[in-house]
Amino acid sequence: MIYLDYCATTPVAYEVLDTINKVTKEYIGNANSIHSLGRKSRDLLNSATNQIANIFNVSPNELIYTSGATESNNMALIGVALANRKKGNHIIVSKLEHPSIYSICNHLETLGFEISYVKNTAEGLIDFDDLKKLVRKETILVSICAVNSEVGIRQPLKMIRQIIKKENFGTIFHSDMTQAIGKVSVNLHDVDLASISAHKIYGPKGIGLLYKNSNVDMVPLIYGTSKEENNYRPGTPSLPLIAAFSKAIRLANNDLEKKERFITLLNDKIVNHLKKYPHILINKTNYSIPHILNISLMDVMSEPFVYALEKKEVYVSTNTACSSKELSTSVMAIYNDLNRAKHTIRISLSSLTTTDEVNRFLQIFDEEYSKLSNLK
Amino acid sequence: MQKIIIIKYGELSTKKDNIGYFLNTLKNNIKEVLIDEEVNISLDIGRMFIEVQEESIPKVVAKLKKIFGIHEIIVGYKDLDFTLDALKENTLKLLEAKDFKTFKINTKRSNKKYPYKSMELNNLIGSYILDNKKVKVDVLNPEVIFNIEIRQKEILYYDMKIKGLGGYPVGTLGKGLLMLSGGIDSPVAGFLAAKRGIMLEAIYFESPPHTSENAKNKVLALATILSEYSAKIKVHIVNFTAIQEAILKNIPNDYLITIMRRMMYRISEQIALKNKCLVLINGESIGQVASQTLTSMNCINAVVNMPVIRPVACYDKLQIIDMAKNIGSYETSILPYEDCCTVFVPQHPVINPSLKKACEYEKLIDYEALIKEAILNEEIIYVPLKEEAKYQDIL
Repeated sequence: MIYLDYCATTPVAYEVLDTINKVTKEYIGNANSIHSLGRKSRDLLNSATNQIANIFNVSPNELIYTSGATESNNMALIGVALANRKKGNHIIVSKLEHPSIYSICNHLETLGFEISYVKNTAEGLIDFDDLKKLVRKETILVSICAVNSEVGIRQPLKMIRQIIKKENFGTIFHSDMTQAIGKVSVNLHDVDLASISAHKIYGPKGIGLLYKNSNVDMVPLIYGTSKEENNYRPGTPSLPLIAAFSKAIRLANNDLEKKERFITLLNDKIVNHLKKYPHILINKTNYSIPHILNISLMDVMSEPFVYALEKKEVYVSTNTACSSKELSTSVMAIYNDLNRAKHTIRISLSSLTTTDEVNRFLQIFDEEYSKLSNLK
Repeated sequence: MQKIIIIKYGELSTKKDNIGYFLNTLKNNIKEVLIDEEVNISLDIGRMFIEVQEESIPKVVAKLKKIFGIHEIIVGYKDLDFTLDALKENTLKLLEAKDFKTFKINTKRSNKKYPYKSMELNNLIGSYILDNKKVKVDVLNPEVIFNIEIRQKEILYYDMKIKGLGGYPVGTLGKGLLMLSGGIDSPVAGFLAAKRGIMLEAIYFESPPHTSENAKNKVLALATILSEYSAKIKVHIVNFTAIQEAILKNIPNDYLITIMRRMMYRISEQIALKNKCLVLINGESIGQVASQTLTSMNCINAVVNMPVIRPVACYDKLQIIDMAKNIGSYETSILPYEDCCTVFVPQHPVINPSLKKACEYEKLIDYEALIKEAILNEEIIYVPLKEEAKYQDIL
């Protein structure tokens, strides 16, 4: 099997799986119980949270566990919008967001919020001038992803923050960092809110977190406790997943640069190989990270091609897993070419990927591509 | 400009000949707390400068807020360009990032050779800001007071001051042994003693199976909270079961607590002497319970020669609770576990014990031997426990 869909999800790391097992077996107490088993669980929970807080240089009470990035995005956008309604009803997002952001925005529109979509440059970066124009007195929130999930564009968050805060100091800045964590270094202090998921960094599915700067006003979306500490996400904390998440974050942040350099080599190899095909377009700009390689097969339908590769046990995707059946909004936003956006294939690489796998993949790719493109 | 943390000392400036000792202790305490960070700490006249990576500043400030001997924590900027233009530009740049309507410039000039006087600088820089930003000057009640300090080697810019804890750096006045019970009062007593520069060790009496492992963990948790304000704390855990059972068996009921406290004092003094602690510290508050009346204190205190400090002696319970909440120990203190002093409380303890009677009753038990054994078998735990080591395999 050659798995090249690491941006959809990753296999759970062996050490992380160990933690899930161990904590499930040995920490049976509810972290909210007052007896010794509960306190033992609470103690581990606190240590796990402290470890994450230390890695990201934030305070532990600024971290809220969720079921994943989609929930974090909901909590951030809806929670902030409702809490800051009196200050304004205007929200800005980019055209390069994860589909969940757009669904949330559609919902917010029905609640009376106004959504603006900031333009991007041909290179995929946020258009700073357009952003400057869009931020106004009523703008309560801006949400821009750190790394785009389809084309891998990495945004300069610090600069974006400065622009937003200069126009309106009270505007809150959220970033979906799901595809950035574990791939490139991030600084949570560049934003007020950040969504992070475990299953993209070799952690378990079903756990994520929202970083919320303590100065940000946000209302909870679900209710269930009077305790202040888990006000935003009441209920019994999922200790095995949380401990595993903490470990996954620690492991993913080791040697980020070395891993990135290795993945760049693999990416270059694939790009150089595909250059020979006149009908294959590489959807890559100077700001794409090497972990995500998006291409458009202009003379082949992308869905059948994914199935054809799958038969040879090669796994890639058309665009994001969350909108596989639709056209790539990101490719559309960058290249403004409907045909190109309809024919995308996303290959996502990991430091687990080997050169042999890439060679084998290219060989299978050639075979299947020639079969399908000759049908025309 | 470089973002920097500036520390002001306050009370320390009353010290004259030995101020160097106080400052160096403070510097070392800060270094110890920031051991995980890459920091550069330098001392200067009336100020200490802490240079860290910009992202770490909020975390570092949160830690500095818990260090005694710091009067004010300022997050500001340091610059070496003394020209008037630089002063104007830097001030404008820093104020541009802020949202406010009224302001005031407050210049201090400790470098008296600087060609402009403070008042002149206030005017010049203030009017430059007025020309470039839509704000107003308000000298009486401004939203932002922007400070500029012209010093010998550098210029400092800042507008936000965070109040520090005050007091003396922990360790400058020697060591004391805190009798830590698990209640609300003793952690507050420890906090107040540490504030006067006393380095803490703690002693806890456990009485298994009458007291649970939970009670012990609670005391360790309290010691850990205190350690955030002082340094690593050595906790002496003394098994009190044999002594307590001997007392229960042999001593008349109304003197149970009096004699028990006398035993605890004896053990504490011996452990304090062994560990070079100069005083005993406890959370007794006058009149709160039977063993804390003035006659009881006399009767109990009589067994030791070492000074006993009772920092919360004259506070009301509600005041102590408020302090405990501020320190962060209250939530832990009220966890419902029995400790040594509460398991066997007689219905009517004596309120005015007589020293003579207490001495007579004590002859009924061979306490010297029991005390010796208890001290011999003490368990020592240092807090805080290292987190990574604790969960190495899991996290």
